[in-house]
This record gives sequence, structure tokens and C-alpha cells, in this order.
Amino acid sequence: MNLIKTSKRDMTIMQIILIVIAVIWLFPLLSAVQRSLEFQGLENYKSLFTNPANGVPITQLYLNSAIIAVFHVIFVLVVASLAGFAFNQLDFFGKEFIYYAIVVCLSVPAIVVLVPLFYTLKQAGLLNSYIGVALTEAALTLPFGILMLRNYGDNIPREFSEAATIDGAGPWELFRYIYLPLARPALINLATLSALWSFQDFLLPAVFITNARLTTAAVAAQSFRDYQGFTALTIGRYNASLVLLALPALVLLIFGQRFIISGLTSGGIKS
Amino acid sequence: MKLTDQTALQNTTNPAPRMIGNRNRRKHKNNVSATLFLLPMLGFYAVFYVYAFYFLIQTSFQAVTLSFRNAQPVGFQNYFLVLTHDLFYQAVLNTFIFASILVLASLTLGFGLAVILSFKIPGRAVFFSIFMLPTLIPASLIASVFASMLEYRYGNLNELLRTIELGALAQRWLVDPHLAYMAVISIFVYLIGLPILYYTADLSTIDTSVIEAAIIDGADTIQLFRLILFPLLSNAHKTVIVTTFLSIFRAFEIVYLFTGGGPSNTTDITGTYIYTFMRTGNNIGYVSAASVIVLLLALVFSVIQLRLYRRVGNEERLS
Repeated sequence: MNLIKTSKRDMTIMQIILIVIAVIWLFPLLSAVQRSLEFQGLENYKSLFTNPANGVPITQLYLNSAIIAVFHVIFVLVVASLAGFAFNQLDFFGKEFIYYAIVVCLSVPAIVVLVPLFYTLKQAGLLNSYIGVALTEAALTLPFGILMLRNYGDNIPREFSEAATIDGAGPWELFRYIYLPLARPALINLATLSALWSFQDFLLPAVFITNARLTTAAVAAQSFRDYQGFTALTIGRYNASLVLLALPALVLLIFGQRFIISGLTSGGIKS
Repeated sequence: MKLTDQTALQNTTNPAPRMIGNRNRRKHKNNVSATLFLLPMLGFYAVFYVYAFYFLIQTSFQAVTLSFRNAQPVGFQNYFLVLTHDLFYQAVLNTFIFASILVLASLTLGFGLAVILSFKIPGRAVFFSIFMLPTLIPASLIASVFASMLEYRYGNLNELLRTIELGALAQRWLVDPHLAYMAVISIFVYLIGLPILYYTADLSTIDTSVIEAAIIDGADTIQLFRLILFPLLSNAHKTVIVTTFLSIFRAFEIVYLFTGGGPSNTTDITGTYIYTFMRTGNNIGYVSAASVIVLLLALVFSVIQLRLYRRVGNEERLS
């Protein structure tokens, strides 16, 4: 849609509304940044690196978040692209039934399956491991990933794979040389979203990782609060830690905003 | 009937039957390779969903602790206890109240902002990012920032009120039950990015000629919003309503890190309710029974969502 224009007066009113609401929306974020400099200025930030709040350097938290995100992205991409290919390019028994049985799990909240997942990981010896968190996160992201890839793949014409089949290509060649290149834009969106959701995830790493050295940036917010509390001396440092913990997600947003926005809109519907 | 005639006709004119035969044969042949391609996903589902659901149902009929030893069968007792617990109803009710208010906010504020952002206003990309940013930053951090901001003695909101000589308005925001309730609503409204995104996406598919025609016919901006754009975005409204409800079922960490469900359970949602009982770890059967009930509630929304989405999807494909 082209941008709409209307009377000058109405445009000004709308501009003012936007500015007022934007200021309200920025207040919490800017107040955190402002508080983070309180009492000791930049020393608040430096001390978080030199004298970590709960004995874990913040760089270690970044690393943990990044490792879990990478595993999560790999699991989701591999599993969802294989399944997406099957749903897009193959005909098989019970296809629609299987598809809906999978996608209906979109709404399963992590908290509801937390106890069984905990039990499963415990049995598998995967508590306190990056892989354990990444596997369970991937399980919760997969319904969305498959929905998104199928929606996208409906636009991939079957003629390519039919032609390749006549030329003697097997399913694996179709997947590798036809489906993957054509689905690339959707896979990039899915990868970026998966990384974002992994950075955002709180519950799974909070419960499945009890070793403070292995925990993620999003989870550390809580332990930093418990450790520092709200006193005049520590509130600055606490806010500095929140700002620092937001950094990995911010970096991802700056570089991946395009993919995140188009992934969220094209896949439609997960929040 | 007509179709078979046509096929019969084609039979005589071109080698189509061979193609059709091929297609049918391929349909059967694909079962094996489809199974192989679906295998990793089926493995994930078997372990993390099917087994998890089985586990939940099984333990919901038992008295068992987090050590998972010496489980005793107790029949429907756990379900009975959950369904007679006032706080469970409060948590479910809160989930629906928060979701309803949030839907209302999305249909008004979210819709309004998305439409304003579709006008030719300078800096619209920046404004869009400002509204999206809180949604995309980890919610645990946003909740922590809000908790810190509303803290009584050192929180920024009270400090601001004191600076502008309105110190009398400073409140114990998270201690007073009514204020805490409002505070939780406000943090949810603050995370309005996704509704704005869905509206923006739907707006971009609208044919501008409708709007231009309306403006030429003398529609003022308010009328344009209310009478033309609001009805035109009905698909986005549906998506927003369903996803908003589902998002509150998933909003555990926001409430947990903001108010912890308190003061005295007034702001509990289903997620924090379940978590509180899980943390004690001594009655997992009870937790499982509550989880099964919440799971069924959430699945209802997911079925609605899929039905909506299927229709919306088809319309899009047709147009």
C-alpha cells in the first residue's frame, strides 16, 4: 500500500500522538539506562566485568546464550526443513492429519510440559547442559517452524521437482538441490526468529540449568536481582546489568530486524 | 462426470494417462521417503509431546513428588483439588481478564498506531521500531526493568513524581493489590508490538484506491479509521485476538519476574500458578492435573487459530 495522505491538520495531530506515545514507550528503557549510570557512573558497567555479581562474568553469560541459540537454530532448521520438504513436495498417507496434529501444538505453553520435560532430561542426563535446553526449546519452536515453512513452500511450484524426478533425481537430491535453495528466504527468517526466541527464553534455562556458570543472559536478570536487591547503592549496578544482558538480543535485532519482521508476519502467528 | 469425459477425451489425443499413472504410483512410493524425512520431527514429537502428555495424564492420577519415587494412585483426587481451589479459578480468570483487556488495547491502540504509521509521517520507521523494541527484547528483562522502575523507594516512577513536585502521588505500586493489577496490565499493553506488526502487514495488502476514493468523497480522518480501515482489517483482528489469548498463556516470566503473581496471588495467571506448586516439588500429581486442564484450555485456542488461519490463508491464495 502506498502511504496515505490527509489534511495537514490531521497529519500534525497524528504526528503529535505518535511522539507522545513514543516518549511513554521509551521511558522504561531510557530510565533503565539512566539508572544504570547512577552512583558510580560507568564504573557500574566496568565492575560487572571485573567483579561479577554472582561470580559469573557477563561474557560467560553471553557465550552460554549464544551456544544454546546456535544449537536451537540448528535443531529447528534441520528438523523443520526435512519435515517442510515432506509436506510441500511429497504425497503420503495421512499427510493432513499429521500436519494438523503437529501444528495444533503451537499453543502448548512451556510451563505446562515443564515437569515431563524435566523428567525426560533428567533420565537422559541432560540437565545442566546446553543441549538439553536447546532440544526442549526446539521442540516448542517446531510447530511454528513447520507451519511457517509449509505456508512458504505452498508457493514453491512442484514443476521443478517433477522435472528433476523425470531426470532421475531421488528425494534427497530434490531436497538438497531444489527445495533448500528455493526455501532459503523462509529458512533465514526461521533461523533468525529461532535465535531471537532462544535469547528471550527464560523458563527452560531457568529450570533445566542450576549451575550458575551455564545459565543464560535472560535468566541472569533474576539472580542479579536476588544478589543485589534494590538499595540506593546497588540499583545503579543492577540496572547496568539489565542493560548489558539485553545486548545480545539488541545486536541480533539490529542485524536481523528485517528477517524477524518478515518471519513473524509470513509465518503469521506465534508470540 | 465432466472431468472423466475430459480425461477420456485426452486419452485419445495425448499421452496424458501415462502422466496420471505416474502420479498415482508416486503417491504410494512417497510413503517410504516421507517417513524418512519426517523421522527427526516424529522423534521430537514422540519424546517432547506424546510422552510428555502421557506423563502428565499418568502423574495427574498419582500422589508423587519431584523425586518421582513411590507414586501412589489417587484416582481423580488431584483434579478434584485443583477444581475446588479458589486460587486456580482466580489464575484462570486473571488470564482471561488480562487477555481481554489486551485484545481491547490491540483493537484500539494497536490498530490506531498501525494505521497512523501507514500515513506519510516523517520518522515512521523509527516510531515503528520504538513500539516493536520492547516486544523483541527478552521479556524477562522488560519485567525486571518494570519491577525496578515501580519500586517504592528508589524506583524511577516515584522519583519522577517527586522531582515534578507530585511526590504525594508516589505509590507502593507493587504492594497494593489494585495498583499491582493495573501495573501488570500496563506491562502487557507495553508489549503491544506484535498486534501492531500484524495490522501493519494486513494494511500493506489493502488497495489504496479505496482509501483515496473515500478521501475524495470527503471522509475525514476519524471516519477513515472507523468506517473504512477498521472493517477492512478483519483478518488482522482475528489473528490479533487469538494470538493475544495464547500469548497470556505463555506470559509466565513477565508476571513471575514483575510481581511474582503477588501481592498474595492477586496477579497470578495460569503459568505462575502452576510454577508456584512445581517449585515446592512435593505434589507433582497436583501440578500435572492443573497442567492438563490448562493444556486443554490452550489447545482450544490453537484449534480456533488453525481454523481461522486456514481460511485466511485460502483467501490470500485466491486473491
